[in-house]
Amino acid sequence: MSGTDDLQTRIQKEILELTSSINDVVQKFKELKNPLAESHEKVPRATEQLDVINEQTEAATHRMLDMVEQITQREEEVIQGLTELKDWTTKKQAGDAGDMVNKLIEKANTTVSDAYTIMNALQFQDITSQQMNHAAFLLEEVEGKLNGIIHVLQGSQSVSDPKESEKKTKPRVFDPHADMSDKKTDQSEIDSLISRSNNT
Amino acid sequence: MADLKILTVDDSPTMRRIIINTLKRAGYNKVVEATDGKDALAKLKVEEVNFVITDWNMPEMDGLTFVTVLRSMEEYKSIPILMVTTRSVKDDIVNALKAGVNNYIVKPFTPDTLKQKIEQVLAG
Repeated sequence: MSGTDDLQTRIQKEILELTSSINDVVQKFKELKNPLAESHEKVPRATEQLDVINEQTEAATHRMLDMVEQITQREEEVIQGLTELKDWTTKKQAGDAGDMVNKLIEKANTTVSDAYTIMNALQFQDITSQQMNHAAFLLEEVEGKLNGIIHVLQGSQSVSDPKESEKKTKPRVFDPHADMSDKKTDQSEIDSLISRSNNT
Repeated sequence: MADLKILTVDDSPTMRRIIINTLKRAGYNKVVEATDGKDALAKLKVEEVNFVITDWNMPEMDGLTFVTVLRSMEEYKSIPILMVTTRSVKDDIVNALKAGVNNYIVKPFTPDTLKQKIEQVLAG
């Protein structure tokens, strides 16, 4: 065998190996496409689920706010009525009846105060809403990236155009650091910053 | 207190309800509400407001832009502005002060803090 024949055989062998490798890669891409497509379908469902949770939490919070507003309104009317009743009580009757009225006013005031505490605690809904919007925003970013990969793998037969997918997402406004307890700067530090700012 | 009309700007209906209830309990009964900076500017054209409470993260026009726009308008150059937001990073607070807010509260807040800050701002 001449040197040229030997080189030709080696090149043919290399080409065969290369073809086999390309086939393997194509097969791997085909295998990869299904889980990617599956993930791509699941991400929007997760985003939608977050939006549903957000809407339901907000609706539940508003039902609680309705009740708290009704309680405070009713109790304030009770306090008003009891205060008027106290004024009507003659001095002769003032003893036990007066004490009872005072106790009832105190109880009603405590109920009003507790209702306002419940109302104040409902601020959690604004914070969890921002956290869920943040999570949905991140999922939409993942969806966009997956869509881009599938677009490349499938060529023009992509499930949807990445630009079209971007258009479908709703605008999300949130503070990425929104937290119930982990305030980066506490109120006393803020007061100190404001005080320094006023002095300069 | 009775004459004070407060504009509360927040995209969260929950927060608007909580703030309005807290204000009413503190004796501030005249309250106007807006959903973002753009809506707030529209409300200011038809309502005579003398105190503003605004959130930061809002669609259309955020709180920082709203404050900057307000401070650039002659009639609102000195209107008291209190920012109530979840943003607690120091740089944000500094930027809000530079934009012209008079005081700053981080959510979640207590009714006492809100009342106290309004009084502080009104006292100058």
